Amino acid sequence: MSSFYLTNLVLVQATITGLLLALSIQVPIRMGVFSFAGAGAYGFGCYAGAILVLDYQMAAVPTIVITGLLAGLVVLVVGLLIAKLNGLYLAMATVAFCLIISVVAINGGELTGGSTGRYGVISDFTMGHMFAIGAIALVLVALSERGKLGRRVDAVREDPELAASMGINVRRYRLVAFAVSGVLGGVAGAMNILVRSAVSPLDIGFPLIVLALTMIIVGGSLSWKGAVIGALIFTWLPDLLAVVGEWQELIYGIIVAIAAVLLPRGLYGVYVDTKRSVLRRRRQEATDKATAQTPPPTSTGDTTDIDRLAPEMEAQR
Amino acid sequence: MSTPNTAETLPTTGPAGGAPASPGGVAVLECDDVCVHFGGVKAVDGISLQLLPDTIHGIIGPNGSGKSTLIGAITRLTKLTSGRLLFDGEEYQSSPASVVARKRVARTFQTVRLLPDLTVLENIQLGADGRTHDEGPRPNLLKRLLGKQISPAVGEAIERTNLQGFESFYPSELSYGTQRRVEIARAISTGPRLLLLDEPTAGMNQTERAEISALLQSLRTGGLSQLLVEHDVQMMIDTCDHVFAMNFGKLIAEGRPKDVVQSPQVQEAYLGRKWRDHA
Repeated sequence: MSSFYLTNLVLVQATITGLLLALSIQVPIRMGVFSFAGAGAYGFGCYAGAILVLDYQMAAVPTIVITGLLAGLVVLVVGLLIAKLNGLYLAMATVAFCLIISVVAINGGELTGGSTGRYGVISDFTMGHMFAIGAIALVLVALSERGKLGRRVDAVREDPELAASMGINVRRYRLVAFAVSGVLGGVAGAMNILVRSAVSPLDIGFPLIVLALTMIIVGGSLSWKGAVIGALIFTWLPDLLAVVGEWQELIYGIIVAIAAVLLPRGLYGVYVDTKRSVLRRRRQEATDKATAQTPPPTSTGDTTDIDRLAPEMEAQR
Repeated sequence: MSTPNTAETLPTTGPAGGAPASPGGVAVLECDDVCVHFGGVKAVDGISLQLLPDTIHGIIGPNGSGKSTLIGAITRLTKLTSGRLLFDGEEYQSSPASVVARKRVARTFQTVRLLPDLTVLENIQLGADGRTHDEGPRPNLLKRLLGKQISPAVGEAIERTNLQGFESFYPSELSYGTQRRVEIARAISTGPRLLLLDEPTAGMNQTERAEISALLQSLRTGGLSQLLVEHDVQMMIDTCDHVFAMNFGKLIAEGRPKDVVQSPQVQEAYLGRKWRDHA
């Protein structure tokens, strides 16, 4: 095992949990659901994982599976309750859900440990488990961006009315977005408690929303690749910025502001737009070359040919 | 309560302008006293009509006469205030839009609605993705998951709409007319039994309009019923077998395109009574 890996083990763990947290917000956004319930599910997952291990002596893998399913179910119920909301109203309702989880954690008595939280969560969880679960989650999310499912998700986000007219049950997709967000958030929370061994109300709540949103705004909100970029940057950046001491927060803020203003589609969006631009330029060059090699048509005085070519020329332009 | 329909019924023709359509023919779609009211505005006010298979129907009428709202009501994207909708004789006015689409009712919209991050090929494949009536083996799960499967219906739709060579383009790279053709291709690729086209040639030049008209006529096979909303009256005359005229949410005339266009009620709706008398 390399010394770099061992030295930065905590950051590696934080990257994986951060990635799943970012995905728990990104998946619903990709379906046009502006929900932060994934951050609430993360808090739920931290406490549910601690309770299952400490009070029920459950092993790591069943703890993660059960926590993920429970969190998915809870967020699905939240989704059913607020299914008719959209945009900012929906976002605010899900922020309220995150805050409710924090309030329950503080006032949960022995079950949640009150303001002290739960600690001493020691299980058989290994880094192998963590890499495997992270990889499975990533592959499943990546597959949801491809093929028929990916196209349908795009349609639900971009134009729900069009999606419905294509036979897509938009309400069902939105509810699935809530459930998947819950599962991802819950699994991330459970993995976090299994590697950290302690959780308190200060570890969950609104700051998690800010962290996850920052990751996907800077990384890119429309692909899992954006979440990976964001998770890497915002897990490792604070460590790298440690050298600037108290200016760390300021630099962090400037980076987020620049990304939000100048890169509305995030860093991954910049890559996608550049690729498209190169492709367009190549097509244009090929068209120009073909046009230069074609002899000019002899005029017959008939405008029909020009009419026929007009849309093509317009398209090429 | 809606007022009874008092549309002027003019001589009708059957498919391709041939024999008169049988009034007792099995309608693909039937609207029965359909009303769509927005507060006090009666956008659609007691429309009753039948759409027959292998027939191109058109709706003409001045701006704001309720043509697009009627298409919205038929596809269930717009809520009905009252009335019945029947597809193959089965009522569906309570079904959501997605269920109506799965009955093989496809539509295009008044404004182009393509997905900006999908290529032309993917936008058209989105329509074919909804096909549930195809026979034969389904592609394997891996191919479906990896997105490698392109439906044969997509190739056919591209060919019919002359979009060869545009497959890898994104909508923002296309002219408005070409974007319109992609929308039509997407609707065709669903394998529809009822095709509703809301101003499909808007933004196109005369040549393109003629091509779309020819395309719609070539689709008049296999039981497909089409309903076309269009402002270009000459195109409606050239393309449609049967035309409905609307004004203020009501049906004011129906029948052969030329007869409907020459109907005094229709001329009055477009030009006003004074100018109709001058004409």
